[in-house]
Amino acid sequence: MKIHRYIYNLTYCLLIVILMTSCKHDKEHEYHSVTDKIEAESKNYKGIKTSSETFIDGMNLFEVTENEITFLIPTRKDKIKSYKCTECHTQPLAKMQTNDIKKAHWNIKINHADANTMNCVTCHNSDNMNDLKSITGHSIDLNKSYKLCSQCHQKQYKDWTGGAHGKRIESWANPRASMTCVNCHNPHSPGFDTKWPARFNTQKVKERK
Amino acid sequence: MSDNKKKWFTLNLNSKHKQTSSSCGCGKTSGGCNSHQPKKEELSNDAFFEAAVDASIGDERHKDGFDQVFDVKMDRRSAFKKLTASLLIGAGAAASCTSVTSSSESKEKAQIDWEEQFKGNYKLMDDKEKSATVDRLVRSYQLRTGKNINMSSKNAEEDVLFGYAFNISKCQGYMDCVSACVEENNQDRNSEMQYIRIHEMKDGKGFNFNEADDNYYHEVPAEGHFYMGTQCFHCDNPPCVEVCPVQATWREEDGLVVVDYDWCVGCRYCMAACPYDGRRFNWSKPEVPEEEINKNQHYLGNRMRKKGVMEKCTFCVQRSRAGKNPACVEACPTGARIFGNLLDPNSTIRWVLENKKVFRLKEDLGTEPKFWYFMD
Repeated sequence: MKIHRYIYNLTYCLLIVILMTSCKHDKEHEYHSVTDKIEAESKNYKGIKTSSETFIDGMNLFEVTENEITFLIPTRKDKIKSYKCTECHTQPLAKMQTNDIKKAHWNIKINHADANTMNCVTCHNSDNMNDLKSITGHSIDLNKSYKLCSQCHQKQYKDWTGGAHGKRIESWANPRASMTCVNCHNPHSPGFDTKWPARFNTQKVKERK
Repeated sequence: MSDNKKKWFTLNLNSKHKQTSSSCGCGKTSGGCNSHQPKKEELSNDAFFEAAVDASIGDERHKDGFDQVFDVKMDRRSAFKKLTASLLIGAGAAASCTSVTSSSESKEKAQIDWEEQFKGNYKLMDDKEKSATVDRLVRSYQLRTGKNINMSSKNAEEDVLFGYAFNISKCQGYMDCVSACVEENNQDRNSEMQYIRIHEMKDGKGFNFNEADDNYYHEVPAEGHFYMGTQCFHCDNPPCVEVCPVQATWREEDGLVVVDYDWCVGCRYCMAACPYDGRRFNWSKPEVPEEEINKNQHYLGNRMRKKGVMEKCTFCVQRSRAGKNPACVEACPTGARIFGNLLDPNSTIRWVLENKKVFRLKEDLGTEPKFWYFMD
């Protein structure tokens, strides 16, 4: 009887030992979830070799710090055909608006909020055509036009600084270069039209018949 | 033995039926065998030679080449010996033939084909072998088409884990991403293969994939609909990798789930195992017009595939490992697609995960996809 009990105990112990050693704690299943993995492995993040520099080299970008996040955005002034504006706007707007002179900017139609909210001078400064102006009358550099947009579109502005709104330029790596508002949106008509999709799969139609 | 009456072909290596003294190597039970050893003593030299040949390959004389090679009873060791020997002879013959009749180029071609035929699994290669393989493929392409391609074997970088976020409120269903993906990844134009699918879903019905349309053709965005893209989610716990019987697919250190097209046997287990329909199969030989081939390639990415192998989105490994955004991210005109390094605490993808309400598809399966959806 005692021998039986002894053998029983021994097998029991052996079983426990086997159970404890057989549970693989390999690298594959080290973490409970991918979120845990990201959290744990990014604690000792020291930066990587891959860089965006080769891709954004030669682009006209400049650094901005918004919402305590620093990144690069493209310049604007060098992409506007007839900047500086003062090359035509030699005198204040009121003096230029006569019936004799042919109307300029005839092609611009404002389709941005309604007439109660916005017109040309909500953003443009009739006294200093080279700069933009905030609602309270402060001057805003044309390169930093996002400051103008963020006055109303706070939510989009915040998402943009973090990278949830808008697009990265070329590379996912650092240093971060992101497009600014006017690279996608026409400031005078910021919405998008509907359009046809880029492709239609004729094979799928056949397969699903 | 009953094998005799089989109408189908049986690979009879290392047969379980041990030969008894009464039956002979040809597998026939009565009288059919050309000769038997006991006669030997009474024979002259010539007759002995004849009998010996008969004894060894007697029945093979009446069989065609295929049967001769395979329908022979032998143990595994001698089977492999014979197989290797005949292959070597074949190769030798090929090499000697080409050396006489054709140029050194075709000799090189044969050499490349030979080495390609017997290369190992990419997953198990060291860096030297990887670059040798890639060089061979580049040279092979050059010999065949006279054109140069650029193929990379760049490994995963440490401290990189790729992740993706998709903004459902931004996607307008333009499908520019699909086009860019097809062009970037040299996908078959005949079967119109596409890794990405954009599902047009009705507002207020939730994510109802059964009622969604992924092949619409009308002006978009359509009234009362939203759009949701799916592709390979590069799961951290990928079921497709688990089921592969030959380990032709695996998860790289930077999180990309990749396929070695030359190791894949085309069983499509992975296709069945993927809960997201992320994998595609080449039912026919993939064809891309020569002028449309993207010549910037990676071994695990967009290099040319063959018939009967699996392929899938690799987050454009040829681009992403170089530091570029995948083609779909670059092509998207709405900025709905965000890509980056999950281990970099200051990356944009991390900002999205930490500041937006994100979710993943079929999270309850435990596949841990590294592809998050979010809304504005």
